[in-house]
Amino acid sequence: MFTDLYFRLRALVRRQAVERELGDELRFHLDHQIEKYVAAGMTPADAARRARIEFGGVDQVTEACRDARGVSLVDTLLQDLRYGGRMLRRSPMFSCIAIATIALATAAIATVTSLADTLMWRHLRAADAATLVSVSATRGRPTEGVVSYPDYASFRDRATTVSGLAAHYSTAPLFVAVGATAKEVNGAVVSANYFPLLGLQPVLGRFFHADEDRVPDRDRVAVLGYDFWRTWFAADPSAVGSALTVNGVPFTIVGVAPANPVALTPLPVNVYIPTMMLRVGYRWCKDSLASDCNTLGMVGRLAGGRSVAEAAAEFAAIMPERWRHAPVGENRGVAVRQPRGMSEDDEEPRLVATLGAVAILLLVVCCANLGGLLSAQSASRQDEFAIRVSLGAGPLRIARQVITESLLLALAGGAGGLVLSRVFIGALSRMFFSMDDEGHPLVYDFSPSMPILLATLAAALAAGLLFSAVPAMTAVRRSSLRPLATRSTSARWAASRGLLAVQAAVAVALVATAALLASSARLVLTGRNYDASHVALMRLRPRLVQYTPERAQRFQREVVERLRAVPSVESVSLVGVGSILGGGTAKATRPGWPKEQEMTVRYNEIGPAYFATVRTPLLEGREFTDGDTLQAAPVAVVNETLASRLEPDGRRLGAVIVINGTPRQVVGIVADAAIISRTQAAQPWAYIPFWQNAGAIDSRIAVRTSGDPAALLPELAREVHPIDPAVPIADTITLPVQIAGLTRPVRVAALFIGYAAALAMLLTAIGLYGALAFAVSRRTKEIGIRLALGAGRGRLVASIVREGLGVVLAGAAVGVVLAIFASRLVASLLYGSAGSDWLFYAAAAAAVGVAGLGASLMPARRAAGVEPIVALRQE
Amino acid sequence: MDLPQGTLDLLILKAIALERQHGWAISERIEQISNNALKVNQGSLYPALHRLERRGWIKADWDVSDNNRRAKYYQLTKKGQKQLEEQTGAWRSLSAAINLLLDHS
Repeated sequence: MFTDLYFRLRALVRRQAVERELGDELRFHLDHQIEKYVAAGMTPADAARRARIEFGGVDQVTEACRDARGVSLVDTLLQDLRYGGRMLRRSPMFSCIAIATIALATAAIATVTSLADTLMWRHLRAADAATLVSVSATRGRPTEGVVSYPDYASFRDRATTVSGLAAHYSTAPLFVAVGATAKEVNGAVVSANYFPLLGLQPVLGRFFHADEDRVPDRDRVAVLGYDFWRTWFAADPSAVGSALTVNGVPFTIVGVAPANPVALTPLPVNVYIPTMMLRVGYRWCKDSLASDCNTLGMVGRLAGGRSVAEAAAEFAAIMPERWRHAPVGENRGVAVRQPRGMSEDDEEPRLVATLGAVAILLLVVCCANLGGLLSAQSASRQDEFAIRVSLGAGPLRIARQVITESLLLALAGGAGGLVLSRVFIGALSRMFFSMDDEGHPLVYDFSPSMPILLATLAAALAAGLLFSAVPAMTAVRRSSLRPLATRSTSARWAASRGLLAVQAAVAVALVATAALLASSARLVLTGRNYDASHVALMRLRPRLVQYTPERAQRFQREVVERLRAVPSVESVSLVGVGSILGGGTAKATRPGWPKEQEMTVRYNEIGPAYFATVRTPLLEGREFTDGDTLQAAPVAVVNETLASRLEPDGRRLGAVIVINGTPRQVVGIVADAAIISRTQAAQPWAYIPFWQNAGAIDSRIAVRTSGDPAALLPELAREVHPIDPAVPIADTITLPVQIAGLTRPVRVAALFIGYAAALAMLLTAIGLYGALAFAVSRRTKEIGIRLALGAGRGRLVASIVREGLGVVLAGAAVGVVLAIFASRLVASLLYGSAGSDWLFYAAAAAAVGVAGLGASLMPARRAAGVEPIVALRQE
Repeated sequence: MDLPQGTLDLLILKAIALERQHGWAISERIEQISNNALKVNQGSLYPALHRLERRGWIKADWDVSDNNRRAKYYQLTKKGQKQLEEQTGAWRSLSAAINLLLDHS
């Protein structure tokens, strides 16, 4: 076994030495034989002749010895490669097309793999990442739950399968002021053991002492993120020891975190404060450190030799007793897993799977196309193969030659694809993964990794084998014929017809799907019953600076009034919960309804002119006005879906609805207006006036303008700032940008599948053109005869175009069926009704048809240009 | 007389069983011992030697020969020794059986 390996290796690596030894050995034998004959009385010349005759051909013996040593496999491979390289250089056009096509197709594979790696597979970038676990509460829903500080402390103190358990709230919006500069940035509230547990070292100063995280609200210390330190303090070392204000509370800076901290979320952390200061970082609970305030995520380090499963079992056993009886929606279980990837929901993995399927489909189309071109090319190399066969090459050797050449092309294409994918990933990252739906910068780590390299290599090799399969078999079959056998071109065209039809079908399906997605990405901005264009947003958070509700209401009213006065502003409104067009949930019922009939509805608190601002049609009644205050009668507006559930018998306006326990009179009914995809059902919505919620403090302002909303943003902030400079203004972005951030999957899918569709269409056209051009060039003689016999040039063109177009249209018909299935698969990404989908199918079929027409016209015209005399003189 | 199929390996192993030999000496030895009845074709001898070496039954060293030239000497390995015994046994029983068959009349 090992001697065998050693031999083959030595033969490979020390090729020349081995060859020389072999020559020496054989020469020694001959010389000995000659000496023997000379000793027996022959003349030296006779002796030499005799010995040589006996020995046989030295070359043959040498070759047989090489075979015996078992190196011929590698030898022939190298020979194939050299030969292949020469052949590919000789037909540069084909080589370029092949390499470019494979590069474009493998780039798609590499891009998807990169997305998958970053979103789903990658370990945290931490020392010894394999022993890190994230611990989260489960709530009987896919979303994973955060826990309260007392629950965290109980896990931390009781768990033995982890050597440490840290708590973190890594998406804390902190309003930070240093001197005169103030801004809302993303921060983190972390336990003192957070940094040591993740193996981080400060670049300056220190991290938190354990003692600084023991007494609530006592130790006001902060650690700066590296980039924050560089931009806000110009990387000045004297920052350590100086002061900064977080949400109105002064802190002392004690250290600076390293440039590449362990990123637990895509939101980079600018400022860290200890968990005992959670009340500064989180203002939505009455007491942020109480057991009913869930804010913290947990990350642990497995104790030596312990597994994730052991930790999971232990955490389930030691979880707080009251979790066991909690209803769905509250913390009622615990999950321990290795943190992998940055994806926080299951929507992104589903998207990546869809894109992966598209990329593989694209690769197959690419192979079908190249297979067609290559067999055309190898058909024209028939003579060359025939010569090689007559020189003694076996049919398998010829097939191997074809496969080696293809692999050479495929690997070159794969390398190109890898490079190209970095460009694509860079673009995707900039377009979709650099800002969240509230305008915060995001950082995703898309750096190259082993899975990307392996996937690309595998794709390239598979492509090489796949697209050489047909030509290799043809080569075997052909070379076993007599070299000068008659050429059959019609048979070849028939074979490539199938491949072309498949390509056309896939192209139509991809074009239709891409168009549907692109239209959805646009629809989601100017959807049914709302229009996001021309709306600017701003988030005002007086809660961060301890406003009381009364003061906040006065403040918000003044803001609305001031903004209304800005020229070019058409209307101003605000919401209290969640985002514009979004919101929270509430319990809704009718007076006298039994408890079981109570509904959970979508809910928001909105200002006057809200529906005018987002352009949602008011069907009946009125919008809220400035007069709907706490002193006025409680009112509500409901959407159509809720109205039909409340009062199926017709009279809806004036009905009384109980929202979160307060009876309210319905004064208006609006059309259903929510960003919901085709797989989501219409939701019931209830709206109450912002002014009628006694507890409302923070708001999101929406401003409709006649001009460019992005240009208005700075002016809006300038107007609001003087009212109270201490109130943090955040998230100044436009509504389209926000919706785009919320609907990232549809936009990523539209772009990616659009790319695949364009490539598939191009490939179909190239493939068709190549096949027809080849058929025409092979039939020059026949065409010449037909022309000489009086066939009309017009009819000739028509017959060739008909041939090409027939294939494409047959494929397109299948493609439409495929497209219908495909649109079902991506339905969760589609917005708007399916009623007009057939338009997209028809348009896709037409587009591919036109491409097919163009591709067949060129060879047809060349055929029509054939001069009968010239054609007949050929061959 | 040409060698029956598959017996060359056995003869080579036997020829170098006592002491190491170079290729020419192996073919000479086979011819001498068989009283020139068996003739080894060089075209099969050397490939066979290389094959046996690859299998690890024999190993080769370069050394200086009797006539002061560099020659490649082959000698039996442990594995080759075992093979020689096995194949000798197999050949004996085969030829005995064939003799039995031929003598029977």
